[in-house]
Amino acid sequence: MEFDFGPVITYFPTLLKGLGVGFLVALVVAFMSIVGGLLVAVISIYINKVVSWPLRFFIWLFMTTPLLLQLYFLYFGLGEWILIPAILVGILGLGFHYMAYNADIFIATIKSVSDGQYEASRSLGFGHGATIFYIIVPQAFIRAIPQLGNNMILMVKDTSVLSAIGVAELVYASQYAISVTFRPFEFFIVIAMLYYLINIFMELGQAWLERQTAYRR
Amino acid sequence: MSTEHQTETPMVEIRNVHKRFGDLEVLKGINLTVNRGKIISIIGPSGSGKSTLLRSVNQLEVIDQGEILLDGIQVNRPDKKGLAFERHINHIRQNMGMVFQHFNLFPHLSTIDNVTLAPRKLKGMDKNVARELGMELLDRVGLAEKAEVFPNWLSGGQKQRVAIARALAMQPKVMLFDEATSALDPELVEEVNRVMRGLAEEHMTMLIVTHEMGFARDVSDWAMFMDGGVVVEEGTPDKLFSDPDQERTRNFLSKHLGDHH
Repeated sequence: MEFDFGPVITYFPTLLKGLGVGFLVALVVAFMSIVGGLLVAVISIYINKVVSWPLRFFIWLFMTTPLLLQLYFLYFGLGEWILIPAILVGILGLGFHYMAYNADIFIATIKSVSDGQYEASRSLGFGHGATIFYIIVPQAFIRAIPQLGNNMILMVKDTSVLSAIGVAELVYASQYAISVTFRPFEFFIVIAMLYYLINIFMELGQAWLERQTAYRR
Repeated sequence: MSTEHQTETPMVEIRNVHKRFGDLEVLKGINLTVNRGKIISIIGPSGSGKSTLLRSVNQLEVIDQGEILLDGIQVNRPDKKGLAFERHINHIRQNMGMVFQHFNLFPHLSTIDNVTLAPRKLKGMDKNVARELGMELLDRVGLAEKAEVFPNWLSGGQKQRVAIARALAMQPKVMLFDEATSALDPELVEEVNRVMRGLAEEHMTMLIVTHEMGFARDVSDWAMFMDGGVVVEEGTPDKLFSDPDQERTRNFLSKHLGDHH
């Protein structure tokens, strides 16, 4: 068989559109999973057990079941009662999934900030909440950057799973193009390369961010 | 205490303070009055309760019994619970500076921000005013040129001097030093001691827990030797360090005099 990348060039605008959808989803999911993960971590560490137990259960649930199953559950399961647009389900599913993973990281880094930091802040007159806000969380965030970066790289690749529920991201867009052109190999090679490039850029960004914050640890 | 000044008023009063960690009573009825502008040193072996006593002054350790007063206002308030106590103690602590053995500078903030964070957020001080105050304090501890540097780039001695500036930024009525030089390399101790001597000359009220016998003797108006949760002996530094009455004090001093740690 001979390779023919002509169809890929013809359908490249379609792929770019898919890339754009994937990018949009990843951006919203990154924001949601980082902010949400931090909130879950702070609540589960500092707020009473009544609130933190359901949150710990939530983390456990999302970390011990496959992402694809979670998406099916949200889309087809809940779809029995309410119809939610696929892209919204994708964002929520991926968002909750990585929120759980990020919360797990933040819980570890919050606990790793020494008691001395807490005491120094309290001795200045900062209250419990202000100490968490101004002293503990910023330090925990800086310490979390390397692992957060890894999670976000995994997350970007996982946006491809959303094709299973019909979100028109890169893989879904290519499936459409393949069904018309019958050139799966060529498309998959190009898509793999696109993911690889995104990965490299994200790793560069992560390394840069780590350099920018290393001296603040 | 010293008899030269008749107008002395108490800044910190510690009355019959008891503190227990589980079954272990670490403070067994401590009394101490620190007058305005005076410097008290507390010495004693590890586990004597001296750090716990210092930490109970600003209620980092909540005491089980007794009273602590700052400038006539009761610090420990067993009658106040939860948020009410929190509000009370946050307000009180703004008037007490504390310096820790391990510095505990905030690593995510620059030196100047370490110093100005509390006055900006707690007193609502204008950013520029706070910066001016911060620079003045950093200059006072000899580190004005390190204002934009982050703590991880400072030596131990520099970190502790910044920590002192940070505590001073709230313009406290009393400074509490919890073994401020114990974690420092010997050659870095003097730069911190110099800053503390400067504060002494400005008549800052200070409570100093220390292992530096020479420094304690030099700088203090009153010295206290603790062991096993009680005050074994107290007196003027000259008396306590050169002619102590108690056998336990003598034993302790013979082991530590001329020794830096």
